[in-house]
Amino acid sequence: MSSKRPASPVKKKVASGAQASGPSSALKGYFSNHLKVSKLSFKEQTDRPVATLLTCSVIGIALVLPTLLMILLSNIHAANFDWDGSAQITLFLEQKVTSKEAVELTRKLENRVDVSRIEFLDKDKALDDFKTQFQLESVVDFLDQNPLPHALLVTPSSTLKGVPAIEQLMQQLEALPEVESGLLDALWIQRLKSITSFLERVVVLIALMLALAVLLILGNTIRLAIENRKEEIAVLKLVGGTRPFVCRPFLYMGMLYGLGGSLIAVILTHIVLAILYAPIEALALSYQSNFNLKGLGFDSTLLLIVFGTALGWLGAWLAVRRHLDEIEPT
Amino acid sequence: MLQFSTVDKRYPDGHEALKQVSFSLERGEMAFLTGHSGAGKSTLLKLIMLMERATRGQVIVGGQNLSAIHRRQIPYFRRHVGVVFQNHRLLFDRSVYDNVALPLEVAGSNPREIGKRVRAALDKVGLLSKEKLTPIQLSGGEQQRIGIARAVVNKPPLLLADEPTGNLDPALSQEIMKLFADFNRVGVTVLIASHDLELISQMPYRVIELNQGRIVDPGYSD
Ligand SMILES: Nc1ncnc2c1ncn2[C@@H]1O[C@H](COP(=O)(O)OP(=O)(O)OP(=O)(O)O)[C@@H](O)[C@H]1O
Ligand SMILES: [Mg+2]
Repeated sequence: MSSKRPASPVKKKVASGAQASGPSSALKGYFSNHLKVSKLSFKEQTDRPVATLLTCSVIGIALVLPTLLMILLSNIHAANFDWDGSAQITLFLEQKVTSKEAVELTRKLENRVDVSRIEFLDKDKALDDFKTQFQLESVVDFLDQNPLPHALLVTPSSTLKGVPAIEQLMQQLEALPEVESGLLDALWIQRLKSITSFLERVVVLIALMLALAVLLILGNTIRLAIENRKEEIAVLKLVGGTRPFVCRPFLYMGMLYGLGGSLIAVILTHIVLAILYAPIEALALSYQSNFNLKGLGFDSTLLLIVFGTALGWLGAWLAVRRHLDEIEPT
Repeated sequence: MLQFSTVDKRYPDGHEALKQVSFSLERGEMAFLTGHSGAGKSTLLKLIMLMERATRGQVIVGGQNLSAIHRRQIPYFRRHVGVVFQNHRLLFDRSVYDNVALPLEVAGSNPREIGKRVRAALDKVGLLSKEKLTPIQLSGGEQQRIGIARAVVNKPPLLLADEPTGNLDPALSQEIMKLFADFNRVGVTVLIASHDLELISQMPYRVIELNQGRIVDPGYSD
Protein backbone atom coordinates (compact mmCIF):
# COMPACT_ATOMS: atom_id res chain seq x y z
CA MET A 1 0.00 0.00 0.00
CA SER A 2 2.78 2.41 0.81
CA SER A 3 4.17 2.03 -2.69
CA LYS A 4 1.51 4.37 -4.02
CA ARG A 5 3.10 7.47 -2.56
CA PRO A 6 3.31 10.23 -5.12
CA ALA A 7 6.77 11.12 -6.26
CA SER A 8 6.83 14.20 -4.16
CA PRO A 9 9.87 16.46 -4.01
CA VAL A 10 9.00 16.95 -0.36
CA LYS A 11 9.50 13.26 0.11
CA LYS A 12 12.95 13.25 -1.37
CA LYS A 13 14.00 15.94 1.02
CA VAL A 14 12.87 13.89 3.97
CA ALA A 15 14.50 10.71 2.80
CA SER A 16 15.88 10.38 6.30
CA GLY A 17 12.37 10.90 7.65
CA ALA A 18 9.60 8.63 8.79
CA GLN A 19 9.51 6.22 5.89
CA ALA A 20 13.22 5.68 5.58
CA SER A 21 13.26 2.10 6.82
CA GLY A 22 13.39 -0.82 4.37
CA PRO A 23 10.56 -2.90 2.98
CA SER A 24 10.81 -5.65 5.58
CA SER A 25 10.40 -3.16 8.37
CA ALA A 26 7.46 -1.59 6.53
CA LEU A 27 5.88 -5.03 6.30
CA LYS A 28 6.47 -5.51 10.00
CA GLY A 29 4.79 -2.19 10.66
CA TYR A 30 1.87 -3.21 8.49
CA PHE A 31 1.32 -6.51 10.29
CA SER A 32 1.85 -5.04 13.70
CA ASN A 33 -0.84 -2.52 12.84
CA HIS A 34 -3.24 -5.31 11.84
CA LEU A 35 -2.51 -7.15 15.06
CA LYS A 36 -2.93 -4.04 17.14
CA VAL A 37 -6.15 -2.98 15.45
CA SER A 38 -7.71 -6.43 15.76
CA LYS A 39 -6.78 -6.59 19.45
CA LEU A 40 -8.18 -3.10 20.01
CA SER A 41 -11.43 -3.96 18.23
CA PHE A 42 -11.76 -7.12 20.28
CA LYS A 43 -11.14 -5.23 23.49
CA GLU A 44 -13.54 -2.50 22.52
CA GLN A 45 -16.28 -5.04 21.91
CA THR A 46 -15.65 -7.00 25.08
CA ASP A 47 -15.67 -3.74 27.02
CA ARG A 48 -19.34 -3.40 26.15
CA PRO A 49 -20.44 -7.01 26.63
CA VAL A 50 -24.20 -6.46 26.62
CA ALA A 51 -24.36 -4.40 23.45
CA THR A 52 -21.93 -6.73 21.71
CA LEU A 53 -23.78 -9.86 22.80
CA LEU A 54 -27.05 -8.37 21.57
CA THR A 55 -25.64 -7.56 18.14
CA CYS A 56 -23.99 -10.97 17.86
CA SER A 57 -27.21 -12.70 18.97
CA VAL A 58 -29.28 -10.95 16.34
CA ILE A 59 -26.78 -12.04 13.70
CA GLY A 60 -26.65 -15.54 15.18
CA ILE A 61 -30.42 -15.95 15.11
CA ALA A 62 -30.53 -14.73 11.54
CA LEU A 63 -27.94 -17.36 10.60
CA VAL A 64 -29.65 -20.24 12.46
CA LEU A 65 -32.73 -20.50 10.28
CA PRO A 66 -30.98 -21.03 6.94
CA THR A 67 -28.52 -23.35 8.67
CA LEU A 68 -31.31 -25.56 9.99
CA LEU A 69 -33.06 -25.62 6.61
CA MET A 70 -29.75 -26.54 5.00
CA ILE A 71 -29.38 -29.43 7.43
CA LEU A 72 -32.94 -30.55 6.71
CA LEU A 73 -32.20 -30.54 3.00
CA SER A 74 -28.98 -32.47 3.29
CA ASN A 75 -30.84 -35.07 5.37
CA ILE A 76 -33.52 -35.39 2.72
CA HIS A 77 -30.84 -35.75 0.07
CA ALA A 78 -29.11 -38.47 2.04
CA ALA A 79 -32.36 -40.35 2.61
CA ASN A 80 -33.38 -39.89 -1.01
CA PHE A 81 -30.16 -41.47 -2.13
CA ASP A 82 -31.00 -44.69 -0.30
CA TRP A 83 -34.54 -44.86 -1.65
CA ASP A 84 -33.40 -44.18 -5.17
CA GLY A 85 -31.78 -47.59 -5.43
CA SER A 86 -34.77 -49.36 -3.96
CA ALA A 87 -37.36 -48.24 -6.48
CA GLN A 88 -39.30 -51.37 -7.38
CA ILE A 89 -41.72 -52.34 -10.10
CA THR A 90 -44.54 -54.69 -9.22
CA LEU A 91 -45.87 -56.58 -12.23
CA PHE A 92 -49.34 -58.13 -11.88
CA LEU A 93 -49.74 -61.03 -14.27
CA GLU A 94 -52.87 -62.04 -16.14
CA GLN A 95 -55.21 -64.33 -14.14
CA LYS A 96 -54.81 -67.11 -16.66
CA VAL A 97 -51.00 -67.27 -16.24
CA THR A 98 -50.04 -70.40 -14.31
CA SER A 99 -47.34 -70.74 -11.69
CA LYS A 100 -45.12 -72.59 -14.12
CA GLU A 101 -45.45 -69.92 -16.81
CA ALA A 102 -44.73 -67.27 -14.24
CA VAL A 103 -41.51 -68.96 -13.13
CA GLU A 104 -40.45 -69.23 -16.76
CA LEU A 105 -41.14 -65.55 -17.30
CA THR A 106 -39.10 -64.82 -14.21
CA ARG A 107 -36.10 -66.66 -15.63
CA LYS A 108 -36.45 -64.91 -18.96
CA LEU A 109 -36.63 -61.46 -17.45
CA GLU A 110 -33.73 -62.13 -15.12
CA ASN A 111 -31.46 -62.19 -18.17
CA ARG A 112 -32.25 -58.60 -19.07
CA VAL A 113 -29.39 -56.21 -18.41
CA ASP A 114 -31.66 -53.51 -17.02
CA VAL A 115 -33.05 -55.82 -14.35
CA SER A 116 -31.02 -56.72 -11.32
CA ARG A 117 -33.37 -59.03 -9.44
CA ILE A 118 -36.81 -60.58 -9.75
CA GLU A 119 -38.88 -62.10 -7.02
CA PHE A 120 -41.82 -64.26 -7.89
CA LEU A 121 -44.85 -63.84 -5.62
CA ASP A 122 -47.05 -66.88 -5.94
CA LYS A 123 -50.72 -65.97 -5.69
CA ASP A 124 -51.59 -68.90 -3.41
CA LYS A 125 -48.86 -67.98 -0.99
CA ALA A 126 -49.94 -64.36 -1.19
CA LEU A 127 -53.47 -65.34 -0.23
CA ASP A 128 -52.16 -67.39 2.71
CA ASP A 129 -50.12 -64.45 3.88
CA PHE A 130 -53.11 -62.25 3.50
CA LYS A 131 -55.18 -64.63 5.60
CA THR A 132 -52.72 -64.89 8.46
CA GLN A 133 -51.75 -61.28 8.46
CA PHE A 134 -55.26 -59.92 8.60
CA GLN A 135 -56.94 -62.88 10.32
CA LEU A 136 -59.57 -63.08 7.62
CA GLU A 137 -59.67 -66.88 7.21
CA SER A 138 -63.46 -67.02 7.20
CA VAL A 139 -63.81 -64.30 4.59
CA VAL A 140 -61.16 -65.77 2.33
CA ASP A 141 -62.54 -69.29 2.70
CA PHE A 142 -65.83 -67.89 1.57
CA LEU A 143 -64.31 -67.07 -1.84
CA ASP A 144 -64.47 -69.94 -4.24
CA GLN A 145 -61.37 -68.92 -6.09
CA ASN A 146 -58.23 -66.89 -5.40
CA PRO A 147 -58.84 -63.31 -6.58
CA LEU A 148 -55.16 -62.41 -6.45
CA PRO A 149 -52.96 -62.60 -9.55
CA HIS A 150 -49.39 -63.84 -9.59
CA ALA A 151 -46.98 -60.99 -9.20
CA LEU A 152 -43.33 -60.31 -9.99
CA LEU A 153 -41.28 -57.93 -7.92
CA VAL A 154 -38.72 -56.37 -10.28
CA THR A 155 -35.70 -54.53 -8.94
CA PRO A 156 -34.26 -52.42 -11.76
CA SER A 157 -30.56 -52.53 -12.37
CA SER A 158 -28.62 -49.82 -10.58
CA THR A 159 -27.35 -48.67 -13.99
CA LEU A 160 -30.78 -47.18 -14.57
CA LYS A 161 -30.52 -43.63 -13.31
CA GLY A 162 -33.57 -41.67 -12.38
CA VAL A 163 -37.28 -42.24 -12.37
CA PRO A 164 -37.84 -41.74 -16.13
CA ALA A 165 -35.50 -44.60 -17.04
CA ILE A 166 -37.27 -46.89 -14.59
CA GLU A 167 -40.64 -45.82 -15.98
CA GLN A 168 -39.44 -46.74 -19.44
CA LEU A 169 -38.46 -50.20 -18.23
CA MET A 170 -41.89 -50.62 -16.69
CA GLN A 171 -43.60 -49.70 -19.95
CA GLN A 172 -41.56 -52.33 -21.79
CA LEU A 173 -42.49 -54.96 -19.23
CA GLU A 174 -46.14 -53.97 -19.30
CA ALA A 175 -46.17 -54.64 -23.01
CA LEU A 176 -45.45 -58.35 -22.41
CA PRO A 177 -48.51 -60.54 -23.05
CA GLU A 178 -48.33 -62.24 -19.63
CA VAL A 179 -48.39 -58.93 -17.79
CA GLU A 180 -51.64 -57.29 -16.98
CA SER A 181 -50.36 -54.14 -15.31
CA GLY A 182 -47.39 -52.66 -13.54
CA LEU A 183 -47.01 -50.51 -10.52
CA LEU A 184 -44.08 -48.27 -9.91
CA ASP A 185 -43.67 -47.32 -6.29
CA ALA A 186 -41.39 -44.49 -7.33
CA LEU A 187 -43.98 -41.85 -7.93
CA TRP A 188 -43.68 -40.58 -4.42
CA ILE A 189 -39.91 -40.39 -4.89
CA GLN A 190 -40.51 -38.02 -7.74
CA ARG A 191 -42.87 -35.98 -5.65
CA LEU A 192 -40.34 -35.85 -2.88
CA LYS A 193 -37.76 -34.70 -5.39
CA SER A 194 -39.86 -31.83 -6.59
CA ILE A 195 -40.63 -30.87 -3.02
CA THR A 196 -36.93 -31.00 -2.27
CA SER A 197 -35.99 -28.78 -5.18
CA PHE A 198 -38.75 -26.38 -4.17
CA LEU A 199 -37.38 -26.41 -0.63
CA GLU A 200 -33.90 -25.76 -1.97
CA ARG A 201 -35.12 -22.57 -3.56
CA VAL A 202 -36.93 -21.56 -0.41
CA VAL A 203 -33.75 -22.09 1.56
CA VAL A 204 -31.73 -19.99 -0.88
CA LEU A 205 -34.30 -17.21 -0.76
CA ILE A 206 -34.54 -17.24 3.02
CA ALA A 207 -30.76 -17.35 3.29
CA LEU A 208 -30.46 -14.39 0.95
CA MET A 209 -33.02 -12.35 2.84
CA LEU A 210 -31.47 -13.11 6.19
CA ALA A 211 -28.00 -12.37 4.85
CA LEU A 212 -29.37 -9.01 3.74
CA ALA A 213 -30.81 -8.49 7.21
CA VAL A 214 -27.42 -9.28 8.75
CA LEU A 215 -25.78 -6.77 6.40
CA LEU A 216 -28.28 -4.09 7.39
CA ILE A 217 -27.89 -4.77 11.11
CA LEU A 218 -24.13 -4.69 10.84
CA GLY A 219 -24.17 -1.68 8.59
CA ASN A 220 -26.15 0.24 11.15
CA THR A 221 -23.94 -0.86 14.04
CA ILE A 222 -20.82 0.15 12.16
CA ARG A 223 -22.41 3.43 11.11
CA LEU A 224 -22.99 4.27 14.78
CA ALA A 225 -19.41 3.31 15.59
CA ILE A 226 -18.18 5.62 12.83
CA GLU A 227 -20.42 8.37 14.15
CA ASN A 228 -18.94 7.92 17.62
CA ARG A 229 -15.40 8.12 16.34
CA LYS A 230 -15.74 11.04 13.96
CA GLU A 231 -12.99 13.06 15.62
CA GLU A 232 -10.61 10.12 15.62
CA ILE A 233 -11.25 9.53 11.94
CA ALA A 234 -10.70 13.20 11.15
CA VAL A 235 -7.42 13.23 13.07
CA LEU A 236 -6.22 10.04 11.40
CA LYS A 237 -6.92 11.58 8.04
CA LEU A 238 -5.08 14.75 9.06
CA VAL A 239 -1.92 12.95 10.07
CA GLY A 240 -1.85 11.02 6.80
CA GLY A 241 -3.94 7.92 7.41
CA THR A 242 -4.90 6.25 4.13
CA ARG A 243 -8.39 5.00 3.51
CA PRO A 244 -7.50 1.34 4.22
CA PHE A 245 -5.84 2.38 7.45
CA VAL A 246 -8.80 4.40 8.63
CA CYS A 247 -11.23 1.66 7.56
CA ARG A 248 -9.33 -1.16 9.23
CA PRO A 249 -10.73 -0.92 12.77
CA PHE A 250 -14.28 -0.91 11.44
CA LEU A 251 -13.68 -3.87 9.15
CA TYR A 252 -12.24 -5.81 12.07
CA MET A 253 -15.23 -4.78 14.13
CA GLY A 254 -17.58 -6.16 11.47
CA MET A 255 -15.60 -9.38 11.20
CA LEU A 256 -15.66 -9.88 14.96
CA TYR A 257 -19.42 -9.31 15.05
CA GLY A 258 -19.83 -11.81 12.23
CA LEU A 259 -17.58 -14.31 13.99
CA GLY A 260 -19.46 -13.89 17.28
CA GLY A 261 -22.77 -14.19 15.44
CA SER A 262 -21.80 -17.40 13.68
CA LEU A 263 -20.50 -18.94 16.93
CA ILE A 264 -23.86 -18.19 18.51
CA ALA A 265 -25.54 -19.69 15.43
CA VAL A 266 -23.48 -22.89 15.85
CA ILE A 267 -24.53 -23.19 19.49
CA LEU A 268 -28.19 -22.47 18.73
CA THR A 269 -28.21 -24.99 15.89
CA HIS A 270 -26.91 -27.70 18.19
CA ILE A 271 -29.54 -26.84 20.77
CA VAL A 272 -32.36 -26.96 18.22
CA LEU A 273 -31.11 -30.25 16.79
CA ALA A 274 -30.89 -31.75 20.26
CA ILE A 275 -34.49 -30.76 20.88
CA LEU A 276 -35.66 -32.15 17.52
CA TYR A 277 -33.62 -35.34 17.68
CA ALA A 278 -36.06 -37.51 19.63
CA PRO A 279 -39.23 -36.70 17.64
CA ILE A 280 -37.44 -37.17 14.32
CA GLU A 281 -36.03 -40.50 15.45
CA ALA A 282 -39.54 -41.59 16.40
CA LEU A 283 -40.96 -40.45 13.08
CA ALA A 284 -38.26 -42.25 11.12
CA LEU A 285 -38.85 -45.41 13.15
CA SER A 286 -42.56 -45.34 12.37
CA TYR A 287 -41.62 -45.50 8.70
CA GLN A 288 -39.35 -48.45 9.53
CA SER A 289 -36.51 -46.44 8.14
CA ASN A 290 -33.06 -46.71 9.58
CA PHE A 291 -32.85 -43.01 9.00
CA ASN A 292 -30.06 -41.26 10.85
CA LEU A 293 -30.34 -37.55 11.58
CA LYS A 294 -27.21 -35.83 10.37
CA GLY A 295 -26.33 -32.80 12.45
CA LEU A 296 -23.97 -29.89 11.89
CA GLY A 297 -20.73 -31.54 10.83
CA PHE A 298 -17.23 -30.15 11.19
CA ASP A 299 -17.15 -28.91 7.59
CA SER A 300 -20.48 -27.16 7.88
CA THR A 301 -19.47 -25.60 11.17
CA LEU A 302 -16.33 -24.24 9.58
CA LEU A 303 -18.28 -23.04 6.57
CA LEU A 304 -20.82 -21.30 8.77
CA ILE A 305 -18.10 -19.52 10.71
CA VAL A 306 -16.23 -18.44 7.59
CA PHE A 307 -19.46 -17.31 5.96
CA GLY A 308 -20.58 -15.38 9.04
CA THR A 309 -17.23 -13.66 9.39
CA ALA A 310 -17.14 -12.76 5.71
CA LEU A 311 -20.66 -11.41 5.97
CA GLY A 312 -19.56 -9.27 8.92
CA TRP A 313 -16.67 -7.93 6.94
CA LEU A 314 -18.94 -7.16 3.98
CA GLY A 315 -21.48 -5.34 6.15
CA ALA A 316 -18.75 -3.23 7.67
CA TRP A 317 -17.21 -2.56 4.29
CA LEU A 318 -20.52 -1.32 2.89
CA ALA A 319 -21.07 0.96 5.88
CA VAL A 320 -17.53 2.27 5.77
CA ARG A 321 -17.79 2.94 2.05
CA ARG A 322 -20.96 4.94 2.58
CA HIS A 323 -20.02 6.90 5.67
CA LEU A 324 -16.28 7.22 5.95
CA ASP A 325 -15.77 9.57 3.04
CA GLU A 326 -18.33 11.95 4.48
CA ILE A 327 -16.01 12.63 7.38
CA GLU A 328 -13.45 15.17 6.29
CA PRO A 329 -11.35 17.09 8.79
CA THR A 330 -12.38 20.71 9.19
CA MET B 1 9.24 25.54 0.30
CA LEU B 2 5.88 27.22 0.04
CA GLN B 3 4.50 29.36 -2.73
CA PHE B 4 1.08 30.92 -3.31
CA SER B 5 0.40 32.61 -6.65
CA THR B 6 -2.79 34.61 -7.08
CA VAL B 7 -4.84 32.20 -5.02
CA ASP B 8 -8.57 32.71 -4.59
CA LYS B 9 -10.65 30.64 -2.24
CA ARG B 10 -14.39 30.82 -2.51
CA TYR B 11 -16.42 28.62 -0.18
CA PRO B 12 -19.46 26.79 -1.56
CA ASP B 13 -21.75 29.36 0.05
CA GLY B 14 -20.14 32.03 -2.13
CA HIS B 15 -18.01 33.60 0.58
CA GLU B 16 -14.63 34.72 -0.73
CA ALA B 17 -12.21 33.86 2.06
CA LEU B 18 -9.01 34.52 0.08
CA LYS B 19 -8.48 36.90 -2.81
CA GLN B 20 -5.43 37.09 -5.04
CA VAL B 21 -3.08 35.79 -2.37
CA SER B 22 0.55 35.61 -3.45
CA PHE B 23 3.55 35.07 -1.22
CA SER B 24 6.30 32.57 -0.69
CA LEU B 25 8.22 31.09 2.16
CA GLU B 26 11.82 29.95 1.81
CA ARG B 27 13.05 26.62 3.04
CA GLY B 28 14.00 26.95 6.71
CA GLU B 29 12.11 30.21 7.10
CA MET B 30 9.74 30.94 9.97
CA ALA B 31 6.83 33.35 9.64
CA PHE B 32 3.67 34.48 11.40
CA LEU B 33 0.34 34.94 9.68
CA THR B 34 -1.87 37.58 11.29
CA GLY B 35 -5.08 39.41 10.61
CA HIS B 36 -8.47 40.10 12.13
CA SER B 37 -10.88 37.30 12.89
CA GLY B 38 -12.28 36.07 9.60
CA ALA B 39 -9.36 37.45 7.61
CA GLY B 40 -8.66 34.01 6.12
CA LYS B 41 -5.73 32.71 8.17
CA SER B 42 -7.21 29.28 8.84
CA THR B 43 -8.37 29.04 5.26
CA LEU B 44 -4.85 29.68 4.01
CA LEU B 45 -3.44 26.93 6.23
CA LYS B 46 -6.21 24.53 5.15
CA LEU B 47 -5.19 25.04 1.54
CA ILE B 48 -1.65 23.97 2.40
CA MET B 49 -2.98 20.86 4.20
CA LEU B 50 -5.34 20.07 1.33
CA MET B 51 -8.25 20.27 3.73
CA GLU B 52 -9.60 22.73 1.18
CA ARG B 53 -8.76 23.29 -2.47
CA ALA B 54 -7.95 26.66 -4.04
CA THR B 55 -10.65 28.00 -6.34
CA ARG B 56 -8.10 29.75 -8.53
CA GLY B 57 -4.32 30.17 -8.57
CA GLN B 58 -1.57 27.84 -7.51
CA VAL B 59 -0.32 26.52 -4.22
CA ILE B 60 3.09 24.87 -4.43
CA VAL B 61 4.50 22.99 -1.47
CA GLY B 62 8.01 21.60 -1.61
CA GLY B 63 7.97 22.03 -5.38
CA GLN B 64 4.73 20.13 -5.80
CA ASN B 65 1.66 21.80 -7.25
CA LEU B 66 -1.17 20.84 -4.94
CA SER B 67 -3.82 20.96 -7.65
CA ALA B 68 -2.04 17.96 -9.20
CA ILE B 69 -2.45 15.84 -6.11
CA HIS B 70 -5.23 13.33 -6.42
CA ARG B 71 -7.61 12.76 -3.55
CA ARG B 72 -6.09 9.33 -2.92
CA GLN B 73 -2.60 10.77 -2.65
CA ILE B 74 -3.55 13.31 -0.01
CA PRO B 75 -2.63 11.05 2.95
CA TYR B 76 0.90 10.58 1.61
CA PHE B 77 1.26 14.31 1.08
CA ARG B 78 0.05 15.12 4.58
CA ARG B 79 2.75 12.94 6.10
CA HIS B 80 5.22 15.62 5.10
CA VAL B 81 3.40 18.49 6.77
CA GLY B 82 3.03 18.75 10.54
CA VAL B 83 0.05 20.66 11.91
CA VAL B 84 -0.75 22.06 15.33
CA PHE B 85 -4.29 23.16 16.11
CA GLN B 86 -5.62 25.68 18.59
CA ASN B 87 -7.66 22.97 20.31
CA HIS B 88 -4.79 20.53 19.69
CA ARG B 89 -7.19 17.77 18.53
CA LEU B 90 -5.73 15.07 20.75
CA LEU B 91 -7.65 11.81 21.15
CA PHE B 92 -8.75 11.49 24.74
CA ASP B 93 -9.37 7.78 24.70
CA ARG B 94 -5.71 6.90 24.32
CA SER B 95 -2.45 7.64 26.02
CA VAL B 96 -0.09 10.51 25.33
CA TYR B 97 2.29 8.00 23.80
CA ASP B 98 -0.35 6.63 21.41
CA ASN B 99 -1.40 10.13 20.42
CA VAL B 100 2.10 11.11 19.47
CA ALA B 101 2.63 7.79 17.70
CA LEU B 102 -0.35 8.30 15.33
CA PRO B 103 1.53 9.86 12.37
CA LEU B 104 4.09 7.05 12.49
CA GLU B 105 1.47 4.36 12.77
CA VAL B 106 -0.48 5.57 9.77
CA ALA B 107 2.80 5.59 7.84
CA GLY B 108 3.37 1.96 8.78
CA SER B 109 6.58 2.40 10.75
CA ASN B 110 7.60 -0.57 12.82
CA PRO B 111 6.99 -0.58 16.58
CA ARG B 112 10.63 -0.25 17.61
CA GLU B 113 11.13 2.76 15.39
CA ILE B 114 7.89 4.28 16.65
CA GLY B 115 9.05 3.92 20.25
CA LYS B 116 12.33 5.64 19.53
CA ARG B 117 10.81 8.57 17.69
CA VAL B 118 7.88 9.12 20.03
CA ARG B 119 10.24 9.34 23.01
CA ALA B 120 12.52 11.70 21.11
CA ALA B 121 9.57 13.96 20.27
CA LEU B 122 8.22 13.87 23.83
CA ASP B 123 11.68 14.64 25.12
CA LYS B 124 11.90 17.68 22.85
CA VAL B 125 8.68 19.15 24.24
CA GLY B 126 9.78 18.22 27.77
CA LEU B 127 7.01 15.73 28.53
CA LEU B 128 8.80 12.40 28.35
CA SER B 129 7.63 11.51 31.85
CA LYS B 130 3.95 11.84 30.89
CA GLU B 131 3.83 9.28 28.09
CA LYS B 132 1.54 6.89 29.97
CA LEU B 133 -1.04 9.49 31.00
CA THR B 134 -4.06 10.40 28.92
CA PRO B 135 -4.44 13.95 27.59
CA ILE B 136 -7.23 14.68 30.12
CA GLN B 137 -4.69 14.39 32.91
CA LEU B 138 -2.59 17.20 31.43
CA SER B 139 -2.82 20.98 31.66
CA GLY B 140 -3.75 23.10 28.64
CA GLY B 141 -0.12 24.02 27.97
CA GLU B 142 0.98 20.41 28.26
CA GLN B 143 -1.77 19.29 25.92
CA GLN B 144 -0.61 21.81 23.35
CA ARG B 145 2.96 20.55 23.68
CA ILE B 146 1.74 17.00 23.06
CA GLY B 147 -0.01 18.34 19.97
CA ILE B 148 3.33 19.78 18.84
CA ALA B 149 5.14 16.53 19.56
CA ARG B 150 2.60 14.71 17.37
CA ALA B 151 3.12 17.28 14.59
CA VAL B 152 6.89 16.87 14.54
CA VAL B 153 7.28 13.17 15.38
CA ASN B 154 7.81 12.14 11.76
CA LYS B 155 10.17 15.06 11.14
CA PRO B 156 8.15 16.95 8.54
CA PRO B 157 10.03 19.62 6.62
CA LEU B 158 7.06 21.99 7.00
CA LEU B 159 5.27 22.77 10.25
CA LEU B 160 1.98 24.68 10.37
CA ALA B 161 0.18 25.97 13.44
CA ASP B 162 -3.26 27.56 13.68
CA GLU B 163 -3.53 29.73 16.79
CA PRO B 164 -1.37 27.36 18.83
CA THR B 165 -1.43 29.70 21.82
CA GLY B 166 -5.05 30.81 21.56
CA ASN B 167 -6.09 29.25 24.85
CA LEU B 168 -2.92 29.81 26.84
CA ASP B 169 -1.70 32.52 29.21
CA PRO B 170 1.20 34.76 28.05
CA ALA B 171 3.97 32.85 29.85
CA LEU B 172 2.84 29.51 28.43
CA SER B 173 2.35 31.08 25.00
CA GLN B 174 5.90 32.31 25.01
CA GLU B 175 7.14 28.83 25.90
CA ILE B 176 5.19 27.31 23.03
CA MET B 177 6.53 29.87 20.56
CA LYS B 178 10.03 29.15 21.78
CA LEU B 179 9.46 25.50 20.93
CA PHE B 180 8.52 26.42 17.36
CA ALA B 181 11.62 28.58 17.13
CA ASP B 182 13.69 25.57 18.27
CA PHE B 183 12.31 23.43 15.48
CA ASN B 184 12.93 26.20 13.00
CA ARG B 185 16.55 26.39 14.17
CA VAL B 186 17.11 22.78 13.08
CA GLY B 187 15.82 23.54 9.61
CA VAL B 188 12.05 23.09 9.74
CA THR B 189 10.02 25.65 7.79
CA VAL B 190 7.38 27.09 10.15
CA LEU B 191 4.20 29.05 9.49
CA ILE B 192 2.09 30.10 12.48
CA ALA B 193 -1.31 31.78 12.28
CA SER B 194 -1.86 33.95 15.31
CA HIS B 195 -3.46 37.23 16.30
CA ASP B 196 -1.41 37.58 19.46
CA LEU B 197 0.35 40.67 18.10
CA GLU B 198 2.12 41.44 21.33
CA LEU B 199 3.76 38.03 21.44
CA ILE B 200 4.63 38.16 17.75
CA SER B 201 6.27 41.55 18.05
CA GLN B 202 8.65 40.16 20.66
CA MET B 203 10.02 37.67 18.16
CA PRO B 204 12.37 38.37 15.28
CA TYR B 205 10.36 36.70 12.54
CA ARG B 206 8.57 37.73 9.40
CA VAL B 207 4.90 38.69 9.80
CA ILE B 208 2.45 38.26 6.93
CA GLU B 209 -0.76 40.20 7.40
CA LEU B 210 -4.11 39.30 5.92
CA ASN B 211 -7.11 41.60 5.75
CA GLN B 212 -10.45 40.57 4.28
CA GLY B 213 -8.79 37.73 2.43
CA ARG B 214 -6.03 39.87 0.90
CA ILE B 215 -2.39 40.09 1.86
CA VAL B 216 -1.88 43.68 2.99
CA ASP B 217 1.66 43.14 4.24
CA PRO B 218 3.78 40.26 2.98
CA GLY B 219 6.49 40.85 5.60
CA TYR B 220 9.83 41.39 4.00
CA SER B 221 10.19 38.90 1.17
CA ASP B 222 8.38 39.19 -2.22
N1 LIG C 1 -16.36 26.07 5.50
C1 LIG C 1 -16.66 27.36 5.30
N2 LIG C 1 -17.73 27.68 4.56
C2 LIG C 1 -18.05 28.96 4.33
N3 LIG C 1 -17.37 29.99 4.79
C3 LIG C 1 -16.30 29.75 5.56
C4 LIG C 1 -15.88 28.43 5.84
N4 LIG C 1 -14.78 28.48 6.61
C5 LIG C 1 -14.51 29.79 6.78
N5 LIG C 1 -15.41 30.54 6.15
C6 LIG C 1 -15.41 32.00 6.09
O1 LIG C 1 -14.22 32.43 5.50
C7 LIG C 1 -13.70 33.56 6.18
C8 LIG C 1 -12.29 33.27 6.63
O2 LIG C 1 -12.34 32.28 7.63
P1 LIG C 1 -11.04 31.80 8.40
O3 LIG C 1 -11.47 30.71 9.31
O4 LIG C 1 -10.01 31.48 7.39
O5 LIG C 1 -10.65 33.09 9.21
P2 LIG C 1 -9.51 33.26 10.31
O6 LIG C 1 -8.63 34.33 9.81
O7 LIG C 1 -8.89 31.95 10.61
O8 LIG C 1 -10.34 33.77 11.54
P3 LIG C 1 -10.11 33.47 13.10
O9 LIG C 1 -9.02 34.39 13.52
O10 LIG C 1 -11.41 33.85 13.72
O11 LIG C 1 -9.78 32.05 13.22
C9 LIG C 1 -14.64 33.84 7.33
O12 LIG C 1 -15.46 34.92 6.96
C10 LIG C 1 -15.45 32.59 7.48
O13 LIG C 1 -16.78 32.91 7.84
MG1 LIG D 1 -8.87 30.64 12.24
